[in-house]
Amino acid sequence: MFYVRYALAELRRRKARTLLTALVLATGVGLVVAVTALSRGLDEAQERVLEPLTGVGTDITVTRPLRLDSSSGGSGGPSQLSEVEQRRLEAENGDQRLGLTGLGQPGERFRRDRFLSAQLSYPENTAQAVAAIAGVQAVARELTLNVMRVSGTVPTASEQGGGVIRRGFGAGAGGGPPRTIAFTGFTVTGLDTANPALGLVTPSQVRKGRYFRGASPREALLADSYANRKKLAVGDKVKVGSRTFRIVGIVTSPLGGRGSDIYLPLAQLQGISGRKGRVNTLRVRAASADRVATVGSAIESKLDGAEVTTAADLAKRVSGSLVDARNLAHNLGVVLAVVAIASAFAIAVLLTLSGVNKRVRELGTLKAIGWPRRLLVRQVVGESLAQSALGGVVGAVLGIAAAALVAALAPDLTASTGRMQTAGSAGAAPPGPGPQFGPPGPFGQGAVAPLTRSVSLSAPVDPQLVALAVVLALAGGALAGIVGGNRAGRLRPAEALRSVE
Amino acid sequence: MNEHLDGDAAVLGVAAADDRRELYTLSGVTKVYGRGDSEVLALRGVDLTVGLGEFVAVVGPSGSGKSTLLQLLGGLDRPTAGAIAFEGRDLAGLADSELTALRLQAIGFVFQQFNLIPTLTARENVEAALAPTGLARREREQRALRLLADVGLAERSNHLPSQLSGGEQQRVAIARALANEPRVLLADEPTGNLDTRTGEEVLALVERLSHERALTVILVTHDPRVAARAARTVRMRDGQVATNAS
Repeated sequence: MFYVRYALAELRRRKARTLLTALVLATGVGLVVAVTALSRGLDEAQERVLEPLTGVGTDITVTRPLRLDSSSGGSGGPSQLSEVEQRRLEAENGDQRLGLTGLGQPGERFRRDRFLSAQLSYPENTAQAVAAIAGVQAVARELTLNVMRVSGTVPTASEQGGGVIRRGFGAGAGGGPPRTIAFTGFTVTGLDTANPALGLVTPSQVRKGRYFRGASPREALLADSYANRKKLAVGDKVKVGSRTFRIVGIVTSPLGGRGSDIYLPLAQLQGISGRKGRVNTLRVRAASADRVATVGSAIESKLDGAEVTTAADLAKRVSGSLVDARNLAHNLGVVLAVVAIASAFAIAVLLTLSGVNKRVRELGTLKAIGWPRRLLVRQVVGESLAQSALGGVVGAVLGIAAAALVAALAPDLTASTGRMQTAGSAGAAPPGPGPQFGPPGPFGQGAVAPLTRSVSLSAPVDPQLVALAVVLALAGGALAGIVGGNRAGRLRPAEALRSVE
Repeated sequence: MNEHLDGDAAVLGVAAADDRRELYTLSGVTKVYGRGDSEVLALRGVDLTVGLGEFVAVVGPSGSGKSTLLQLLGGLDRPTAGAIAFEGRDLAGLADSELTALRLQAIGFVFQQFNLIPTLTARENVEAALAPTGLARREREQRALRLLADVGLAERSNHLPSQLSGGEQQRVAIARALANEPRVLLADEPTGNLDTRTGEEVLALVERLSHERALTVILVTHDPRVAARAARTVRMRDGQVATNAS
């Protein structure tokens, strides 16, 4: 076809300009492909990291946190609570003073477990109310408590001081406990065995042994980190409160350290902690992903003081180089890609206009011999489209190559989650691994440590994205061609013929 | 030929000139370039008629308005004042698209610098004038080859302009100008860039073709020898027709 031959001949003749325009568009397109592939790779990496958090089937976690008094400073201890909240907490946990009388004769060994809640609780039947909310598919009940274990030797009268030990939250003055008494702590969670797939720990997280059997057997699951620390294994026994439980499974801790040290059937924990019929966490599964927000809002409005945490909220708590890179790709990367493609378009337009200006006499001659304006516009647009198609293909290749380079280098990114502010733990826990107790005590889960996970970065290229990038380049070419073609079409032949190339 | 013309040409419905004696009639044509202090009066009230099949030479010194007159005759520009009738139709009343169609069907141009498209071969340059008519590819190519044979360049049809001599390039330009069987050939210094012998050959070619095709030729030149070949000479001076003699 004449017009195609003419266009190709022109592009060949002005090779440098053709290649420059194509390269400009290729750069824009390549950046879009590479940045989008990188962004997608980072999204996938984050999904992989978050899978342990979000993959347990829980869409929404409902707790009833204590409200801190913002006017007071401190690190999250009970002194930051309003008087009303302090009274609520006292009511929740009862009198935490441990009297020395009744522990035994001086010199005898003793051990007492005190169960403390980091948050307020709900009556167990709240789960039924939540289950009745439209869009809720399933609800599991849960009770998570800190256990303050006081053990040692009953002190003599001279060692007893005031005769009362008070640790944990609300520790008052008095010089501290006798030296013969030690404090340790761990966390324990009562799981709803009727909904094993919906809970802090699910059967899929059992690394050794098995999950609970039956409604409320005297069985326990141990977090692997706690089991290692205490050198406990499946088949061993662990004592919590007044009861002894057989360890039937070792579970992996979910990312974020949200796990407890020991897991018991809910009824068992309620029994030994004196919290029959009480739960402090509800795990909710929505009927569909798009109903999570609606269900969350409905729960918040229905339950007084409820705090709703969704999987999306959890994602926001992940930090580390993965998140930094992802934010960079999403923010700077997108801006960079938009600026690059816009600049590429602008430069392509300028180069095309410059090309038309250099061909004024030629285009004027065509007008003089009877080429209508629409044919001139079409010709310039066609030439521009041809070179943009070249740019699009080169850009796609560049983008794919850049993505492949990222995949080949496969840098490791880390994702970290600090202590999760679950169960109303508004304050930050003190640093350091292992079980902890003491301030801030009930405001963190105490026995959890932050986890870090490493993921390899990839940059998967979607064929549709490549096609889109080529279309983008063609759009840039069309824009440049239309601008340049209109410039050519508006030429006055008499003036054009007077010009000197 | 006309059945192949595209929409604009069909709308124009150019009248056949056979029954008219005058191809062009110019009355008081004035052309002013620029405004204010930079205003240049290129033509001042030119009155002129050109008959069908005439060979007219327009001569005069530089700046006398020869080329401006030619551009107005070719519909490449519009007069500031006065009227130009082509085959009885006032060019001032035609829209740009109608003027474009008129140039395609009825007017052939030959330029001093040849104005060939450098990336196209001789045949493709001739085809460039035929492309807007919508002719089928085969017919377009055959017609281009026939025209090149008429100007003696059958063997050079696949050569680029850069591979042709000046005389050959001008012959390609003439073939292109005649591609759509125009009624008038407007030539602006067609021998200006050629040596004497080649210029003579080109001029002889124009004469032959104008006779064969009953073509009106209006030729602008500085060269008195070229002007002497024309049946009538229009002498321009300061934008006016100084003499108009056969």
